[in-house]
Amino acid sequence: MKLALDKVGHAWLGRTVFEDFDLVLGEGEVVALAGPSGCGKTTILQIAAGLVEPLRGRVRRHYRRHAVVFQEPRLLPWLTARDNIAYGLKVAGRGRAERGAVAEARALDVGLDRDDLDKYPVELSGGMRQRAAVARALAVEPDVMFFDEPFTAVDVGLRRALQDLVIAAARRARFSALFVTHDLAEAVRVAHRLIVLSGVDGRIVDQRAIAGEPGRRDNRTVFDIVEGWSADPVFAELFDADRRGRA
Amino acid sequence: MTVSSPFEGPRVGEARRAMPAWLRAGARACVAATVWLGRYVWAGWVGLAGLFCLAAGWQAGHEFYGSFILPAPLETVTVLFGLFEGPELAQAASETAWRSLGGFLLAAGLGTLAGSVAGYSFAAMRIMRPIVTVILGVPPIAWIVLALIWFGSGGGSAVLTVVLASFPISFAGALEGAATRDRALDAMARSFGASLPTRFRTVTLPHLLSYLFPAWTTTAGNAWKVTVMAELLSNTGGIGGQLATARALFDIPLVTAWILLVVAFALITEYGMLNPLREMTERWRSAGLPWGVKR
Repeated sequence: MKLALDKVGHAWLGRTVFEDFDLVLGEGEVVALAGPSGCGKTTILQIAAGLVEPLRGRVRRHYRRHAVVFQEPRLLPWLTARDNIAYGLKVAGRGRAERGAVAEARALDVGLDRDDLDKYPVELSGGMRQRAAVARALAVEPDVMFFDEPFTAVDVGLRRALQDLVIAAARRARFSALFVTHDLAEAVRVAHRLIVLSGVDGRIVDQRAIAGEPGRRDNRTVFDIVEGWSADPVFAELFDADRRGRA
Repeated sequence: MTVSSPFEGPRVGEARRAMPAWLRAGARACVAATVWLGRYVWAGWVGLAGLFCLAAGWQAGHEFYGSFILPAPLETVTVLFGLFEGPELAQAASETAWRSLGGFLLAAGLGTLAGSVAGYSFAAMRIMRPIVTVILGVPPIAWIVLALIWFGSGGGSAVLTVVLASFPISFAGALEGAATRDRALDAMARSFGASLPTRFRTVTLPHLLSYLFPAWTTTAGNAWKVTVMAELLSNTGGIGGQLATARALFDIPLVTAWILLVVAFALITEYGMLNPLREMTERWRSAGLPWGVKR
């Protein structure tokens, strides 16, 4: 077990988002957290990553390092892509030469060119920036990764490429991951297990293992699984925007 | 083992080996600095053109009103060069320079420090904002009167006036900068376990600088003006004292010469000190401009 959330609850400005949330993240396990907007997915991730103190419950961490990939790239505009990717290493106090070498290696892993490394974030396209953000997280060799809807802003083709990249990195570096998304197909592609939250009170509506291994499921399988779920009342909130509006 | 590329002969490889890495890096930095300096100076031509337009307007005014009201630029420059030969210019200029520099450093330092601390605390921000408005609302001339009463007529009252008149500008700039820091970037830094000082240095400070430079520029310009004014009113020497004498003598070209000197100092502070510093620290900003970063 790498990470456990015990009976965690939180409220923003007195409005309860969710209560009694339990989660156990096993070694090398990728858990997808799905749910409609505003159900508290991101808050759960922030609590798990230590960015927000939970009001109730506790978080147990059994790992050395974690890294977060946010919904936006969150690159520092005054640093080049190279220095941005090396940011986590700099914070950890690694030497300049090592930082440069690791940053370059991770940049190539995520499909950035060597020429891009000296560019500032404004000079990179949206997809490039998100790649750099993924590289920055990978550079610290985390034991646990947190993904907060990381690929919502990129186009379909690139999203798939980035998902594959995450899957490959997870398998290579053996990190555990919590992957927040509202895209079921994305959850099915990258995760071992899926947790669905309710948009009404943040309860866990359903928890299920996803058949097969991440990265081994082909497009057909992913499509079939998602299609098979669409009739399931558990996912009604996710699929039915009308009902969500009334809830 | 050093691997030389197929395009360079064995000699090049040898030369590379002979040259230590730090020396190579140093040489590269020197070349980059020279290129940058050349570009900066070259860009100065445009600014110079603007200044000459102003001088042309000045000349026109002179031709309309005559020498007694507005001496010609050339006449002023001649008088100024004449002043360089006497001892009073060096004396007065250094007095004024030290006072305004001291005032500027104190005002900018205190203002920046207090402002960035206040920017982190919402309560401090709410309390400090009206205080700053009040301090800014008191005219510098009133501070001079008070400083004269408190400290007598010495250099100290000029410095104090500069600090009181200019401190709120730096303070407000730093406050605004710290308050508008990007909390999302801060959260990113926290996710990597960055401590508060590290986060301040890497996330808040670069953002803060874009607020501080305009504030510092205004503070510096203010420092010169207020120092001269304080000197003139408190009769404590310096350029202000010289201006008072020139006025008493009705020597208008001398008055304009001293004014020109103060303006020259202000220009040097901004374009010789603050602007290069800004260019160096905010290079990344030009990356967003259509012509990009000049590498």
